[in-house]
Amino acid sequence: MPVKTMSSFEPNAQTGAATSPGVPAESPSSPAEPAFKVNNLSIWYGEKQAIKNVSIDIPAKAITAIIGPSGCGKSTFLRCLNRMHELVPRTRLEGDIHFYGEDLYGPTVDPAVVRRRVGMVFQKSNPFPTMSIEENVLVGLRLNGVRDRRFLNERLEQSLRRSALWEEVKHDLKKPGMSISGGQQQRLCIARALAVEPEVLLMDEPCSALDPIATAKIEELIRELRDKYTIVIVTHNMQQASRVSDKTAFFYVGELIEFGDTTQLFNRPSERQTEDYITGRFG
Amino acid sequence: MNRSSSNNQHHWRKLKSALASGLAFTSALLVISPLALVFFYLLISGATSLNWAFFTHLPAPVGEKGGGMANAIVGTLELLGLASIVGIPVGILGGVYLAEYGSARINWGLRFVADVLNGVPSITWGVVVYGLVVLRFKSFSAYAGGLALGLMMIPLIMRTTEEVLLLVPNGYREASLALGISRWRTIVNIVMKTASKGIVTGILLALARIAGETAPLLFTAFGNHFWNRNLTEPIAALPLQIFSYAISPYDDWHRQAWAGALVLVVGIFIINLLVRVLTRERTARLI
Amino acid sequence: MMRTRHILREFDRALDALRSDALMMASLTDRNLQNAMSCLLDRNPELCVVTVLDEKEVDALEKKVDRDGVDILLRYQPVASDLRQVVSTMKLGSNLERVADQAVNIAKRSRRLSMEPELHEAFALGPLFVDAISIFRDSIRAYADGDVALARTLRERDREIDQMNRQIADDLTAKMAEQADRIPDYLQLLFIARHLERVGDHAKNIAEDAVYAAEAEDIRHPDNALAYH
Repeated sequence: MPVKTMSSFEPNAQTGAATSPGVPAESPSSPAEPAFKVNNLSIWYGEKQAIKNVSIDIPAKAITAIIGPSGCGKSTFLRCLNRMHELVPRTRLEGDIHFYGEDLYGPTVDPAVVRRRVGMVFQKSNPFPTMSIEENVLVGLRLNGVRDRRFLNERLEQSLRRSALWEEVKHDLKKPGMSISGGQQQRLCIARALAVEPEVLLMDEPCSALDPIATAKIEELIRELRDKYTIVIVTHNMQQASRVSDKTAFFYVGELIEFGDTTQLFNRPSERQTEDYITGRFG
Repeated sequence: MNRSSSNNQHHWRKLKSALASGLAFTSALLVISPLALVFFYLLISGATSLNWAFFTHLPAPVGEKGGGMANAIVGTLELLGLASIVGIPVGILGGVYLAEYGSARINWGLRFVADVLNGVPSITWGVVVYGLVVLRFKSFSAYAGGLALGLMMIPLIMRTTEEVLLLVPNGYREASLALGISRWRTIVNIVMKTASKGIVTGILLALARIAGETAPLLFTAFGNHFWNRNLTEPIAALPLQIFSYAISPYDDWHRQAWAGALVLVVGIFIINLLVRVLTRERTARLI
Repeated sequence: MMRTRHILREFDRALDALRSDALMMASLTDRNLQNAMSCLLDRNPELCVVTVLDEKEVDALEKKVDRDGVDILLRYQPVASDLRQVVSTMKLGSNLERVADQAVNIAKRSRRLSMEPELHEAFALGPLFVDAISIFRDSIRAYADGDVALARTLRERDREIDQMNRQIADDLTAKMAEQADRIPDYLQLLFIARHLERVGDHAKNIAEDAVYAAEAEDIRHPDNALAYH
């Protein structure tokens, strides 16, 4: 299959390009360049404004946590980073988001291509119920047209290893994806997202339905993935944000109130609203 | 509140509960009894005429003993096949459109129309196809019958397909789209695959529903006492045969009609059993 | 320090209890210092017993503050100003315990001195005593009110106390050369001065923790070139 430039969102940038064998997903960037540059972003759902004039640079190969009370727009913000928010009817967006210098919302950009480069893991683990563990991991590649059996096998093992699930399921690859425990299902979903070799992993409260041990395993996994991926995680759990992330952003009613180093933000927030929220004084 | 009054209340509550469950049980019996009655009556009246010849022979001329409804049984199957060709693809695609695409307003209109069509008396379909097809081609035909039945299937399948697709949690669609899988592939490979048992169930229910229809066939398939050699010609169907035998003055034919009705009911019974098995597996799998 | 209350009122109550225990410790310690001063200057040995008893209470409170502090960390996982408040209060507890210890030491030495003929030089320690008690009180006020400006002045005042202590030590050493038979008593005075100097150090530490609690700024050892990050 023809390999085009990695940095292209153009719809004709061949479905398999981002996933061809032997082509590492390299980003045309220096470590200092942010993965996302968000400029004056506003988002509306119908009449309701969910995001208000947010500007933020999300660093590459680091973990950025987004915290804030329910309905503060943090999920919406996360979803606009891979254009998932567009699935809701009547959304409108102003401002711009650049991903390694490319306009994420350019007129010729195919959202499907964006989503292959910017993967996502959801709150509720959602392995496809009709598929085995193996089929779940490979579905993104297969439905994007990859047929090479050897390549698929390699990617299967690699993805499951990266999501720290390989040792637990290597003898049960043909079992239904729904047959494993909740925490394993969530790691399976991470493996499924990693299989298409994204550069970014967006996580929308990935541990909120898990017990503490399963949560610890996911957190450990997130720390390990940090070297290879840019990770943005939305969480309700502030201890989790402070444990896991390098940077933290605090959203409140659609606005970005504060963004900074995690230790700084949790020890000495510069905004009163941030302080009130993280110390539990909102009322 | 003292103890005895709370005891009294307790008794009163128990009485009310017993009354309600008794009433519900009686109603349930009332629902089942006609079905049991019909089945029992059919069995008594029809079983005696059921034999191998019934399934393999053509109808015997009046006055002759024996004969069967082989042509009608096959005819019904052919008509169901023709109806499926029309009804299943259109119905499923319509259901997909309702569940996955379409704006709220368009969907409201479509659902309304589908529900009205579901309620249209079945003879109407026969008349419409008679006007559109039979008169134009100047001949009753299997095609016309299949078309009438197929048109009846469309709203049925469309609505059930829509319902089972909407039952598929949105999380699966999102997960698939987030992998960069296109909308259409997501619908076909993820959503419809997840709902496949439900869709099949909807199709079977629609088939069961139209298998016994007589009215739409009166002006379209018309009926035929012999084998149908060409789908552009009239074709026999069980309900039609039953109808024409039942209104005839001959006892033999009456008995044959009973046997035909029994076969038809058993067939529908089997389809429904199949649906049961399918839905049981489906729920077991989702849990 | 006025702050909006937490949604979880139990958390507020726990923080308030911790703080009031620490302030209770501070006032006991304050009384201890005054009693120790009386013990020395008024040659009142009975106050020594009071000092020792008060110190036992301070010790018990220190343990309570530590236990409750750990309990708050465990239960409520405080962050930001709450976290700093708990950490600095626990450190305040241990500083207060040491100040109270110094007071007991002073009282014990004073009791011994009161059994000997009066030494005129004991009164030379008066100003040092006043300064030590004053810097101590100001450090507690800085903590209690979150008065960062006040806290920042205490480093300089501690330095003055050090200076005063050195001066007194020099004078006492000179006296010892003149009056060899009273050397043990002069040594007691020398130690008392040293204890007071230590009180100044603890007051400075308390002030530093007060600044940390209020502003998350570590003002300790500003001239230390070594720094771990």
